[in-house]
Amino acid sequence: MTDEPALIDAAKAGSADAFADLVRSYRDRLLRFLLTRCASYADAEDALQDTLINAYRYLHSYDPRWRFSTWLYRIAIRNAQKIRSMNVVEIGDLSDAESDPLLQCIVASETENLWISARRVLTDDVFAAMWLRYAEDMSINDISKALGRSASWTKVNLSRARKALDTEMNSQRAKDEAYG
Amino acid sequence: MDKLAEQLKTDAGRIDVQVSAELDRRIEASLRGVTPKSDGQVVLPKGRPAGFWWASSLTGMVVALAVIAVINSRSQPEIPPATTASISPVLTVAAPIIAWRAESAMLTSPLRQELEDLQADLRKVEHKVRQDIGL
Repeated sequence: MTDEPALIDAAKAGSADAFADLVRSYRDRLLRFLLTRCASYADAEDALQDTLINAYRYLHSYDPRWRFSTWLYRIAIRNAQKIRSMNVVEIGDLSDAESDPLLQCIVASETENLWISARRVLTDDVFAAMWLRYAEDMSINDISKALGRSASWTKVNLSRARKALDTEMNSQRAKDEAYG
Repeated sequence: MDKLAEQLKTDAGRIDVQVSAELDRRIEASLRGVTPKSDGQVVLPKGRPAGFWWASSLTGMVVALAVIAVINSRSQPEIPPATTASISPVLTVAAPIIAWRAESAMLTSPLRQELEDLQADLRKVEHKVRQDIGL
């Protein structure tokens, strides 16, 4: 986005319209990410709303050395955690397509969506790191900032997560072949 | 891009999510109700005139002096001087008063005799002590 700094300045000056323009291109992506971290669609929507409101309210604290998307994702991760901590239902409890908001939004395909496998085998933070890396194309540095982790933690855990997912993919493939 | 990364990217794209018009309206309405905070919003205390600081310093000193004066003037609990005259140098030995029962005295005459001897000894000792201390 070429005029992002100008929109940020206008939003800092109090223009809600400028802020709405600024975050328009991030909203769907943020909602998709939040859906992987919340126990219901409504929670993900609430988390998105809180994220955008907090971002607007505290825009003065935004450091332009960060990418704006990194800053937004950091807020989103915190809001998702906050909403999850208030919830009784955990993502691990969502075993069927009817209750799992992520499963409801996945386009049908022959093989299991790899993000569902990732959510099953990875911890929350590692899943988020994988998502930011492979779905959002973020750099290691940006992922570290968004998660509040060190760059070495991010590198090591991305590498471990890849291995875990490879193993999971292979075992799924073996199952599929065995059962035809 | 390796196979796993490619698969992850493709599968992320298969998650079909869009912000609904209703959520969009909700967010925009919320944003309009929010006032962004700014760095300059911190309310600093107004500067006080120099006379205020002098006045508060003087008041503090006066209060401190008053407290010191009150503490010093508070009456100490009076301890009466120890006078030797008020203490009698003579030890008054109080003989125990024992109420004897007559009938039991009849049965225990040796004991009664013993008691009388002891009382006589006590009187002698008392007399000797009085003599020793010059009374």
